[in-house]
Amino acid sequence: MLKSIRKTFLLIPVVFLLGSCWELEQEVLDGVTPEDVANSNNPQLIDVLKASAYSRIVGSWGGHNSIWSINEVSSDEMAIPQKGADWEDGGLWLRAHRHTWAPSDEAFNNSWNYCYTAIGEINNLMISFPDVAALNAELRVLRALVYLWLIDNWGNVPIITETSSGGNPTNNSRQEVFDFIESSILENVDLLPKEDTKSTMNYYSAHAILAKLYLNAEVYTGTPRWADAEAAADVVISGPYSLSSNFFSNFATRNGGSTENILTLPYDENNAGGFNLAQMTLHYLSQNTYNLQEQPWNGYASLEEFYNKFDDNDVRKSAFIVGPQFAADGTRLRDISAEADDPDGEPLTFTPEINMLAPNAFRQAGARVGKFEFASGAASSLSNDYPLFRLAEMYLTKGEAAFRQGKTDVALAAINMVRERAGMPAFTSLTLEDIYDERGREMFAEASRRTDQIRFGTWNDPWWEKGQSEPFRALFPIPLQQINANPNLTQNPGY
Amino acid sequence: MDRVQFLNIAKSKNKQHISFEIKYSYLFRFLLTKNSMRNYLQKFKTLALALTLLFGVSIMTNAQNRTITGTVLDASLGDPVPGATVLIKGTTRGVATDLDGKFTLEIQPGDQILVISFVGYLTQEVEIGNQSTFTVNLEEDIQSLEEAVVIGYGSQDKKEITSAVVGVKPEDFNRGNVSNPAQLLQGKVAGLSITRPGGNPNNGFNIRLRGLSTFGANSSPLIVLDGVIGASLENVDPNDIQSIDVLKDGSAAAIYGARGSSGVILITTTRSGKKDGNVNVTINSFATMDQATNLIPVLSAEEFVARGGTDFGSNTDWREELISDAFSYTTNASISGGFQNTSYMASVNYRDNQGIVDGTNNQRLNTRINLSQGALDNKLRFNVNLSFTNVDSESINDAAFRYATIYNPTAPVFENTESAQERFGGYFQRDLFDFYNPVALAKQQQFIGETKTALTSYRVEYDFLPNLTWSAQYSQDRRNTISGGFWSRQDFQVGFGASGSAERNAFDRDQKIFETTLRFETDLSDGLNMTLLGGLGFQKTKNEGFGARVRQYLFDLGWNNLGAGAIRLGANTNLYSFANEDQLNSAFGRANFNYNNWLFLSASVRAETYSGFGENNQTGIFPAVSIGSDFTQIFDMGIFDQFKPRVSYGVTGNLPPSPTLALGVFGNGNRIDLDGDPLTTNDIFVGIVQNSNPNKDLKWETKKEFNIGIDFGLLDGLLSGSVDYYTRNISDLLFNVPVATGAPNPFDPGRFNTASSTWVNLADLRNAGFEFAISANRLGKGSLKWTPSFNFTIYQKTQIESLSAGELGFDELRFATPGSPGQNNNPIIYNRVGQTLGDFYGPRLLGISEGGEYILSTTDPNEFERLGNGLPKGEFGFANNLEWGQWNLSFFFRGAWGHDLYNSYRGFYENADGASNTWNSVITDKTPTNPLITSTPTFNSSYIEDASFIRLDNMELGYNFKTNSPNLSSFRVYFAAQNLFTITNYTGIDPEVRINDSENGDGFTTSLSPGIERRNTYFQTRSFTLGLTVNFK
Repeated sequence: MLKSIRKTFLLIPVVFLLGSCWELEQEVLDGVTPEDVANSNNPQLIDVLKASAYSRIVGSWGGHNSIWSINEVSSDEMAIPQKGADWEDGGLWLRAHRHTWAPSDEAFNNSWNYCYTAIGEINNLMISFPDVAALNAELRVLRALVYLWLIDNWGNVPIITETSSGGNPTNNSRQEVFDFIESSILENVDLLPKEDTKSTMNYYSAHAILAKLYLNAEVYTGTPRWADAEAAADVVISGPYSLSSNFFSNFATRNGGSTENILTLPYDENNAGGFNLAQMTLHYLSQNTYNLQEQPWNGYASLEEFYNKFDDNDVRKSAFIVGPQFAADGTRLRDISAEADDPDGEPLTFTPEINMLAPNAFRQAGARVGKFEFASGAASSLSNDYPLFRLAEMYLTKGEAAFRQGKTDVALAAINMVRERAGMPAFTSLTLEDIYDERGREMFAEASRRTDQIRFGTWNDPWWEKGQSEPFRALFPIPLQQINANPNLTQNPGY
Repeated sequence: MDRVQFLNIAKSKNKQHISFEIKYSYLFRFLLTKNSMRNYLQKFKTLALALTLLFGVSIMTNAQNRTITGTVLDASLGDPVPGATVLIKGTTRGVATDLDGKFTLEIQPGDQILVISFVGYLTQEVEIGNQSTFTVNLEEDIQSLEEAVVIGYGSQDKKEITSAVVGVKPEDFNRGNVSNPAQLLQGKVAGLSITRPGGNPNNGFNIRLRGLSTFGANSSPLIVLDGVIGASLENVDPNDIQSIDVLKDGSAAAIYGARGSSGVILITTTRSGKKDGNVNVTINSFATMDQATNLIPVLSAEEFVARGGTDFGSNTDWREELISDAFSYTTNASISGGFQNTSYMASVNYRDNQGIVDGTNNQRLNTRINLSQGALDNKLRFNVNLSFTNVDSESINDAAFRYATIYNPTAPVFENTESAQERFGGYFQRDLFDFYNPVALAKQQQFIGETKTALTSYRVEYDFLPNLTWSAQYSQDRRNTISGGFWSRQDFQVGFGASGSAERNAFDRDQKIFETTLRFETDLSDGLNMTLLGGLGFQKTKNEGFGARVRQYLFDLGWNNLGAGAIRLGANTNLYSFANEDQLNSAFGRANFNYNNWLFLSASVRAETYSGFGENNQTGIFPAVSIGSDFTQIFDMGIFDQFKPRVSYGVTGNLPPSPTLALGVFGNGNRIDLDGDPLTTNDIFVGIVQNSNPNKDLKWETKKEFNIGIDFGLLDGLLSGSVDYYTRNISDLLFNVPVATGAPNPFDPGRFNTASSTWVNLADLRNAGFEFAISANRLGKGSLKWTPSFNFTIYQKTQIESLSAGELGFDELRFATPGSPGQNNNPIIYNRVGQTLGDFYGPRLLGISEGGEYILSTTDPNEFERLGNGLPKGEFGFANNLEWGQWNLSFFFRGAWGHDLYNSYRGFYENADGASNTWNSVITDKTPTNPLITSTPTFNSSYIEDASFIRLDNMELGYNFKTNSPNLSSFRVYFAAQNLFTITNYTGIDPEVRINDSENGDGFTTSLSPGIERRNTYFQTRSFTLGLTVNFK
């Protein structure tokens, strides 16, 4: 001790006099610097970095306040009813349901950041490893996927690539974004692997992006591309995938072995958190049904009209949790705080009917989202992989695109693949509305409904607790927070 | 046994030393055994100690021969001089004069000369002879009356001070059970806000000088303890403080450069000035009782059921179940003295503060040794200060306070069912949303902290010439904390789903500073005196820590056995360690000029290089200049004996809140499972992620402060005071600014923003204020003396001038959502450019419909109105000291006006909506009752309440016993009370100003949402203290 003090006493002035310690270097003790990353020769680093870019898109897709949330709650398949004091939350979710949202609503900003954070990460990675062709191809396609979400939700968004420079970017037109996505894929798709990679990009998931892009081309650009959509879907259908005989195996806990899922967000309670559907939809007391680690929040429920579009024989109707609720040991759950005027009384029963959106929806009202398995003892983050693309959607896309080109036979064959798997009799004739409803039943809770409603022209129609909405609502507002941070951005028309 | 031993030794020759040791060991045993005893035993021990001291003292006084008496008077005024030392020359025997200046002393044959001394007077010697009564007239020592004020790197005569500096001495400190040095100053210094809402003994105080001058984490003033920069307040016990000096304006603080923006508080600990072989021993011991006060009224069980609340058939006052009167004990003992070139002070301070809820307490043992030794005719001086503090704290989940207020009053505490026994340890629990038995919550979750701090500093000074002094100081400030958290398997809130959980965390902070200075003083010409100071400083700070949390226990083993938790990954688990280190190099200089005692000038500059600045901005320069002139030295100013206008200007800075922000360091990202199969683990890695975008231009914040003031004294020193007006411009404000995610990063060309924010320097804030302080010196006649002092501050609240830097920035920052249930997404505070910081925004409540529905001005967030502001327009303190014979009474009022608070209890729990069937409702004076509001609670203007208040903060009544013992210089018994009453219209828990939000933000933004009283606020307490202070010689 004394020695070291004496040393310090003597040394410090001497060192100073030598003038060698005035300029200070900041040491980093518990993180890595960009230089460390550049100089690393760990062969697994590139894989991990690539996976990090993917982990950005895994992020919070399936959480509350997410891109999933704004898509589902603004569509006619889900709502977050306000239960007295609970879930008012500044009216955000009521506005989302009624199509009266404001640019300052936080969920839009979260969703926007989710997309652009991934883009920044991808661009940085491309700068760091410019010479790895396969990696760059994959990253460009991954970036195109993020732009697919951006073009769908906001339309006129800035295109930022690894070669962009200068400070704050400006908006690009929706047509430019469309072209960018299309060319990103067409130029790179042949460099991608053709085996089933599940949670990373391959040849088929790239075509699935194209299929979705072309299917909505008329909405995005004014020019329909039905034949291209059909062709792209055909490529995917030709891939190493098959419809699972058990519809729900695609949504089970540890569903990594699904033969149908083409590209998934590989959620894992330990390794990739952020999929919180059990918390978001279940009643507080449902903790006892599934032995959940945390009490659920009693939020998201399905609309009764939408629920009623399912035939009782439809296998997929089990995607809703309705009826009496029990604890894991079989005892009936009782909600002692059930509203006095709730006809179901204390015994916990989920009813498809919701008495009102706000302010006093019954705590038990509403069919809950049970499409994804809730494992017993689940943490707030689920371990179910979330499918971004699966084969059934490609059949539906092919069917719709074919039908819109007048090829009803092709359409029937494709759509009936999906319909029969659900235990329903095959269609013998087809209308656009049939396709719309079939898509609704198949794709429930997979954040497809809003896009479908816009494409089928039902988006602005009134439905339960929602009036006619203005056409400009087909695009979400550029978040106020982003416009504040980047004054070069132009708000979408109407807002 | 102890007592007999104590008495015997008290009679022996070296009694001061030995008796102190005995007392010390007694005290120590008392401390050691204390922890394991129950409350009543602790009380008994305190009493026993007090009695022993009393008894021992009275015995000591009986062993003497002849008695002399006398009076010590001020030679010019003829007033008695209390506290003067009367000593028999060549011995260590003596007494202090009492309040009337009288003394009684027993002398032995051979005693010849009395030495009478007192601070501020010339020491006098009187021959004893055969006289038995003495009257001694002490002459004022003009030189020493020039009160020294501690400034950075030295002290200055008060008359020479040209900037806004306020010194506070122990006699002006707050009274009662004061455990934190900050509390000593609460309300005493104009412009210095010190707040601690609620009565949690573990909570620190929020300190803010002259309003907010940064958004960042360093909004509290810099603490400089005996010259050690940035020391933590934990290193010093309030009892060991000799003076506290507050450097308020920019010119005074500029000598601390990039750390001075929030002001500087200099604390000087007691050291003995005596060199005459005398020893002074002081024992101060007190006991305090705390009671909860100002609980928000709620419905009784009957009223609750009558309103439709769920009836569980019991009748429970949950707050009564949770809280009980708390008894706390404190003992301070110190010994000081000196001879020739040596002086020393040693102290031990033990505080055991209990909270009003079982499981909240704070025990603190502080030991200090200050030692000075001179050599070579005192030209070479060594100084060693050592202080060691151990703090053990226990706390509960503060949500228990909320649930104790709103939990169903018909629910029982316990439930005798098999299921309740098995699942919840017998506590009543129900599966309802946000519904937890508060008693269970307080018992089944536990949190502890054990903090050890050691501050060691070593200083050497050498006078090369009488006017050229070199100094060097090395200090090490080390703080180590181990904390533990525990959630029982039967804890319904967290532990139940996690099957029991526990955590352990360790944090270590180590700051080493070496500074060296050279000071030179000379008379440049006749009447022009110059003092030059130059110095260099080097500082290295390291923070590190680690921790782990596990879950799923078979038995509730808690943090003592983390290995017994089966699950170490996923929710409710944690594993981390961290470390960071930074360095700061400084060079500084100051010149002071005094021209014929009427014109004073001071100029200083400090240059600082910090490792955490961006590579493009490595060194900041912080200059200051101030000038003042005492007009009474030039003109005849009538009743004024001092009238010193002064003007100052200074630039100070603020460091980035973390040293690596400029670098864009990659931290831990998601866990990456390369093949997506969790069963194969050899391909799982933790990815890397840039949490903030790098900024190579990152630098210090800059605050430019202009201060104009007048120091005045009038009527022969009867009144003195000061007036100040200041304006502050803060630029280059450090803030984590939202940026266009994914866009090219302008601060790191060629790379892209992967994080949604970047730390940048933004402009600008502006604030101003007016401060006034006046005090009178012992007004009154005869034996009744009144010493009042009064100060107030009027703030011009902080104005946001701009929140932009280049093309980055924003017009508005929204913060602070009220919370769950139902108010999660509506921020209520908007910080808007061009407006004051921290404005409340929301709909105005226009009225209530017949059916009890709100009538709101709007529901559109874009049309919300400004509803108020949480920062005060002004604050004041009014201190009074009354002396009457042996009695003294002090009382202190403190208050703030013009600030609003969001009353969150009303904001959530006063409506008779559906939720009021689950939760109890509050019924304050402001709760509408006819009709009751039936709407769902929605934030609106009615929940923003004016929280102006006046509080009788503390009072103390003391009695000084007359002592005739030569060994006892004073014996004082006192009774003190804190927080006796508060006058306010606010209906929440505590109208105290909230300068920070306890629940908002990441630590860097909490000061941007002032004025929110959260529901988890610890209840307010009122304290009563009984204590005694004994001084031995």
